[in-house]
Amino acid sequence: MTGKTGAASGALYLHLIVLAIVIVSELIGIQRLPIGIGTVIFLPILYAFALGILFNPAIFKASAKFLSRDAVKLSGAMITVAIMPFIAKFGTTVGPQISKIIEAGPALVLQELGNLGTILIAFPVAVFLLRMGREAVGATYSIDREPNLALIADKYGLNSPEGAGAMGVYATGTLIGTFVFAIMPPIVHGLGVFDVRALAMSCGVGSGSMLAACTGGLVAAVPDQKDIILALAAASNILTYATGLYVGMFVALPLTEWLYNKARPSERRAQA
Amino acid sequence: MANQTNTSATYADDLPLAAEDERKIDVIGHAGLLLIACAIGLVANWVGTGTSPLTALPGMATLYVACIVGLALARFVPFYLPGVAWVSLIAILITIPGVPGAAWVSEKVEHLNFLALATPALAYGGLALTASEFAIARCSGWKIVIVAICVMIGTYMGSVVVADLFLRLGQ
Repeated sequence: MTGKTGAASGALYLHLIVLAIVIVSELIGIQRLPIGIGTVIFLPILYAFALGILFNPAIFKASAKFLSRDAVKLSGAMITVAIMPFIAKFGTTVGPQISKIIEAGPALVLQELGNLGTILIAFPVAVFLLRMGREAVGATYSIDREPNLALIADKYGLNSPEGAGAMGVYATGTLIGTFVFAIMPPIVHGLGVFDVRALAMSCGVGSGSMLAACTGGLVAAVPDQKDIILALAAASNILTYATGLYVGMFVALPLTEWLYNKARPSERRAQA
Repeated sequence: MANQTNTSATYADDLPLAAEDERKIDVIGHAGLLLIACAIGLVANWVGTGTSPLTALPGMATLYVACIVGLALARFVPFYLPGVAWVSLIAILITIPGVPGAAWVSEKVEHLNFLALATPALAYGGLALTASEFAIARCSGWKIVIVAICVMIGTYMGSVVVADLFLRLGQ
């Protein structure tokens, strides 16, 4: 990845900027903002992401001097590398709690199907309320992280309405997903309706940053349940990694297609 | 909305669609990058929790080894499972009570705050966004933002309701 000497200094700047961002974000620390129905929790990962965007060469022109195109590319590769120790740490919380995990086994496995809830909520909004076309199929069939996006690319091509919908949700999720997943669980917990274990095991949606935000928010809201929250979230995230693509391929996408054809019987694929 | 198809497709080239490319990852090259990530992670943990990097080092070294072994498995095992899944499985395995060394590992990684370890990845994430990704988000328009929020709420709440139901049934 560092072919030229210029690329090497770009890489050095990249890691130094990240180091600086990390230090500032951790110094600010977790902040709580009480609102009527619960507490909005701001996490260091949010500041880190926001600061990253702020210094992104596509936004802040001056940083293009330090961060070459190659450095930005390296940054993309570093996301998957840097999330690894986090994922490993998360895994180590499961082992000690393994008997409790097995106890919650059926709920843990079946909640994977609950991810289809996106079709229940987002599909009607997209099709009936916003009058979207076939973009809605790609946009609402799943949470549209990388494996789901790959499935859409494979089936329809990204150069299609379905592809545009999936990419739109992917890009939006990348930009605001951490925020949404940090804010939502503590508020839902504040309703006092759901078992905190249910809130925890739903955090595994197949995205490392959403997982971090979701569990971070929950642990900040219910600190005495930290161990079981982490363990259940980690276990469900692994299940999603293992099953997400297949649920999408064999259940969610055919179901969304079928619903779309029911909702718009007159429409033919020629629309694109 | 009508012209978004054409505009967004031209940006598709540099989206991270490399889910299957993990089969070809270069484990040695990743070992070096992972070392940098772990070092920054130690600093994040230090600033965030006050735990000195020396105290946290054995735990981080253990996580490092778990990551490398996980990546190697993703590379060489003949069926597909993402690297992150392998890393998780190894981390679980080495902390199950009764497995040799499990107590030691659990005690050492306790010095690492899980959230601090995610901070570097998000910083890289913010810096890695390309002009294309901003452009897609912009030209997809407000409808996609609403739909994306509904997708996230739906995915999460669907799981919460199902999980809560079966936890109650199990009692």
